[in-house]
Amino acid sequence: EFRFGPCRVEGVVLSELWEAFSAMKSTVQTQDDITSVRLLKSQVLHNVSDAESCYLVHSLLKFYLNTVFKNYPSKVAKFKISKSFSTLANNFFVIVSKLHPSKDKDMLSISESAHRRFLLFCKAFKQMDTEAALVKAFGEVDILLTWMQNFYHL
Amino acid sequence: GVAVLPAPQNLTVLSINMKHLLMWNAVAQLRETVLYSVEYQGEYESLYMSHIWIPSSQCSPTKGLECDITDDITATVPYNFRVRAMLGSQTSAWSTLERPFNRNSTVLIPPRMEVTEHGLHLVIKLEDLGPQFEFPVVYWSQEPGAKEHVKVVKSGDSPVHLETMEPGAVYCVKAQALVKAIGRHSAFSQTQCVEMQGEALPLA
Repeated sequence: EFRFGPCRVEGVVLSELWEAFSAMKSTVQTQDDITSVRLLKSQVLHNVSDAESCYLVHSLLKFYLNTVFKNYPSKVAKFKISKSFSTLANNFFVIVSKLHPSKDKDMLSISESAHRRFLLFCKAFKQMDTEAALVKAFGEVDILLTWMQNFYHL
Repeated sequence: GVAVLPAPQNLTVLSINMKHLLMWNAVAQLRETVLYSVEYQGEYESLYMSHIWIPSSQCSPTKGLECDITDDITATVPYNFRVRAMLGSQTSAWSTLERPFNRNSTVLIPPRMEVTEHGLHLVIKLEDLGPQFEFPVVYWSQEPGAKEHVKVVKSGDSPVHLETMEPGAVYCVKAQALVKAIGRHSAFSQTQCVEMQGEALPLA
């Protein structure tokens, strides 16, 4: 199960996500020829406290579901990666539906800290051409999974 | 008018121990071989991109009246399925599964197991049900006051040594199937007991 601080998520098998992304990694990442930019840079993902992690993963996965994956179907069909894409998208959907970040006032500073990290990611995304940003964000799913793995317990 | 190929009817899913089989009724066409094509979409596709349907990895197309959709279902969310018939250049309308299928509704039945003793060792061999399964195994000696012990056997680790035992004692074992991806387990299997060879050692 995933334990993002107080947030627990069962019913998602991390190895299935890795298997799905690995099946399309080369196809996806070869589309990204802007190697000088990284969206999920270290300031976004490094030294994230357990308490922050629930807020941050919730924001990031919602962004992937509502923006990245949603605008990717034309490529999905073209590159014949529908099955792997579906595995990732539906499991991200399960995780988001089970995450309930606390809205307590005493968690305000922590949620704001997580939000600042997320805004760094969004800013980098918006500074790029939309098409290029979608391709790069999709190609960085392995960075996201690597970070999420820190919170996964067998 | 042009004869329209009827769509397959009565789509159902039979799911036992995380093996999922989609079935449908035949489309009868005299002396002709009708092919069928199966497609699916998960909850994400149905909510965010409902026009997207993915061809089933096993049955696009197939001659049979069933399709192993196990590999297509890779998340614990509701999945829609649809099937259509194809005959030459004719294709029927799509028939869609009446209610989406979620793998958390699979029927879990206890694993087959074989309990043996090797010398003084109690060994269990469990049915291989696939990588998603783990098996809580409960074993105990029939000595008065003996406690139950539990060992969780991972898929693929079987056969497993459970215990080194007392000569002449009787040991009993039962197991259940556990799937963390859906957070459920089966009932326990029937209990199997074995008697250790050799005589119980006299008390000093």
